[in-house]
Amino acid sequence: MIAGRDLLHITLQMMRDDLPLAGLALARLEAFAPDDRPLLAEALPEVPGQGYRDCVQSARGQLDRLRRLFAACSGDGGLCTVAPHLSLTREQLEEVQSWLARAWSECAPFEVEQQRLRDQSHELGQLDKSLDELSGLDLDLGQLQEEHSHLNLLLGLVPSENLRRLERALALSGHLILKETLEQESSRVLIAGPNQPGMEPGEVLKAAGFQPLVIPKPFRSSPEEIRKELDRRRHGLARQETALRQKMEEWLNRNRERLTEAGAVLEAALPYLDVGGAARCRGPLAAMQGWLPASALPEARRLLDEHLRHPYFLVQRRPRLDEWPLTPAPPTDHPWLRPFALLVRQYGVPRFGEIDPTLLFALSFALMFGMMFGDLGQGACLALFGLWQRRRLGNFTRLFLIAGASSMAFGLLYGSVFGSEELLSPLWMSPLKDPILLLKIALGWGVVFLSLGSLLAIGNRLLAGDLDGALFDTGGAVHLLLYLSLLGGILGMAKDRGFGTAALALALLLLGLLAARLWRHSDAPFGERLLTVFIETFELVSNALTSTLSFLRVAAFSLNHVALSLAVFTLADMLQGPAHWLMLVLGNLFVLVLEGMIVAIQVLRLEYYEGFSRYFQGDGRPFNPLRLGR
Amino acid sequence: MTHAADQAYLRTRLAIMRGRLRGEEELNALIDLPPATLLEGFGLHSPGGLGQERLLVSFEQSLLQLWLDELTTLLRPLRGPAREILMQWARRYELFNLKALIRGKLNGMPAAAIRESLFRLPAFLALDHERLLQTDNLDELLRRLDNGPYGSLARQARRRFAENQDPFLLDATLDQYFYTELSHRLHSLEGEDLAAMTALIGRIVDRHNLIWMLRYRYNYALSPAQAFFLAIDHGFRIGRSRLARLVEEPSLEQFLAGLPDSICGILGGATRILVIEARMKSDLAAYADHCLRHGTSIIAAVFAFLILRYYEINDLFAIVQARMAGLDDDILREALHPEIREAA
Repeated sequence: MIAGRDLLHITLQMMRDDLPLAGLALARLEAFAPDDRPLLAEALPEVPGQGYRDCVQSARGQLDRLRRLFAACSGDGGLCTVAPHLSLTREQLEEVQSWLARAWSECAPFEVEQQRLRDQSHELGQLDKSLDELSGLDLDLGQLQEEHSHLNLLLGLVPSENLRRLERALALSGHLILKETLEQESSRVLIAGPNQPGMEPGEVLKAAGFQPLVIPKPFRSSPEEIRKELDRRRHGLARQETALRQKMEEWLNRNRERLTEAGAVLEAALPYLDVGGAARCRGPLAAMQGWLPASALPEARRLLDEHLRHPYFLVQRRPRLDEWPLTPAPPTDHPWLRPFALLVRQYGVPRFGEIDPTLLFALSFALMFGMMFGDLGQGACLALFGLWQRRRLGNFTRLFLIAGASSMAFGLLYGSVFGSEELLSPLWMSPLKDPILLLKIALGWGVVFLSLGSLLAIGNRLLAGDLDGALFDTGGAVHLLLYLSLLGGILGMAKDRGFGTAALALALLLLGLLAARLWRHSDAPFGERLLTVFIETFELVSNALTSTLSFLRVAAFSLNHVALSLAVFTLADMLQGPAHWLMLVLGNLFVLVLEGMIVAIQVLRLEYYEGFSRYFQGDGRPFNPLRLGR
Repeated sequence: MTHAADQAYLRTRLAIMRGRLRGEEELNALIDLPPATLLEGFGLHSPGGLGQERLLVSFEQSLLQLWLDELTTLLRPLRGPAREILMQWARRYELFNLKALIRGKLNGMPAAAIRESLFRLPAFLALDHERLLQTDNLDELLRRLDNGPYGSLARQARRRFAENQDPFLLDATLDQYFYTELSHRLHSLEGEDLAAMTALIGRIVDRHNLIWMLRYRYNYALSPAQAFFLAIDHGFRIGRSRLARLVEEPSLEQFLAGLPDSICGILGGATRILVIEARMKSDLAAYADHCLRHGTSIIAAVFAFLILRYYEINDLFAIVQARMAGLDDDILREALHPEIREAA
């Protein structure tokens, strides 16, 4: 239950050459989180690995570029990532880097050529369209290419977002856009203006990204010739594309194995990059420090024995109390608790050494969800949906199974199957039979939940050595006692026995204590201090009571479920034949999706707002272990 | 634009953050401090003067981080167009990085050296620096940008660089792209938010257009058409048609004489571009301060705060940089307030 209970701080002393191998070995373990505090800075002043990091980053860059370039022609991803190498030397890495650099220098021209062919193909398409459009004009387009003594005519493409601005700027040099065809990215334009010194639009066209379209010479003779010329160009481009693809495939076939091998070496090199400042050295000696669960220590030793080429020395110790705020806490790893651990982390990361709320969260989530959404049939549907979608849901499959199972269990207690209360006799009772009892149970659960939350808060603060917080802070011992004494008094009043002298005396005493503490901790002027103490004390009491009332929703939603189901059955009964059954199915589906979702949100709200905000700080450090293939 | 609760939250946060802004007086007090005390105050004291450049980079990063943290805090309750417009404003840092990458590649700098000069940006700014750093040259870098938000710019730039490798035009195009995107996002706002933001962003555009039109025309001798093409639409006091007339003026003095009276009043007869820039900046800062204190639009107030904080960060960095470089008070004061020499 204590977050990171068995965590150790380890310092691994070794020869500098073994550092990357140690990174690899510990990454295979997936349980070692580097600690980059400069604890060893005095003895080992250097942070090694800059050259290594540059080497890996540069090689990764080349490999990524090659993968992107060949992604289209390898189809199935012949360059897909493979399992990393389990041994790694600096020489190996440097060799891979220099090979990848050579490979990229061989392949970069392919990319440039691809781009050139794409641009030419685009230009050809645009020219084709231009000719179609301009053929309607009574204009000898061949003349566009020629020099004129008075007239400047230009045909070309301009990025569409620049078109209007270009038009306004061209007006300043006496030019105008005669014809334009807007397309999504670039527009075709025909520009005309005087051919005079000082009125040249060249610079502004350049600034606007204008790309002239070169009209083929045969255009000047006949339209058929133009089409032939354009087709000839198109075929030429297609031939060049095929030739390029062939060259690329040949290159890839020659080098596929080498490329895959390089990927495996780089995968193995990556964990060492994540070590960062956790590794330090002086001359040939080095050390790496980090956090490791004690349970993983034997396996860590075995992997280090297997990978490291020189002797090493491992020092282990428990985290010191002053280190607790900086110590990461590994998440609960039990497969059934994993989805709940993820939801806990949505709120915050448990601090090292505090009580991990995941188990309590899982139990209370299941209990409240079942109580609010108790239905044997719909619960089974939830569980089956989780199983059906297990690939997509991943860890959350078990959340669906648990929520479904809890819903089924409460369905049996309520005697509810797909909203019908006639198919099954309840093991306990239908919610509608005695709503008041259900509301009382919900309130009782609220009191238990809030008290448990307070006990956790007190426990956490005591574990962290914060006695004052354990006594007086929100959810502390004084708050809990005050809450219980107020509840005792209110319960007495509900049973016509009055508030009770003992409860009143205790409540007043505790209120006085809290007010005195607030007074002592405030440094505001007298009037403001009086006001804040009064308001904060009042707020404290009202919060405690409203939080309890929040749990009424647990009962309200179980009643709501029955009411919604009744509505579905009433509507179905108004219909005959298949429509009746269709209404039952759709109605159940509606209840399942909509109400299921609302109930899940409400339960989360109760957990986060009424629970976590009291006893869970959530400001711990995440445990990020080294991993392979990140 | 925002719910009442969010408005209340933002107003409260802004009131707290506004209190943390260093005013003119506090910045002047920093200049008056002995350099060693100043640097020590910011944790930049390095015995032996070693690693000063690194210290300065990390100081700049910490200032940027402060700005981004505040932006993130203010963004939290915002949705839709209001959020979009503030995120676009944050993209100016993305733009700085892009410019640094382009210049670095153009000058053949190694990836590690370019990386040093880049801002570390939060995840919502999507430029993949590492992938761009690993490119061999500018042409490849521009190809990598093809499929991202800067795709259109990259395609234009590729063609342009094939003819002439001059980063100036690309810088200007990037600025234009940034401000045009900012202005476009205005149109999705409504009511008082639209009016207040139009006035605020319009002033930013005015300042940019005025300074850069003067530089393009009279320092770089661009043609009126080319300079006008590089101007940004949606100015507040200098409209498009007036700007078209102004860029055709043969001299800087005639350009300035054609400005509207409201701008002439701000410039106070200044004729040096540096001084004009400083006066326009002071005017914008004063207007931003007014929006922050008295404006009714919460979006404009947030935007105004970010502008003021950005200016403050720039001034603070300039002070620290000057002290680390050992510059004396006069040079530092003139760098921050070029109008001082004009007045003298």
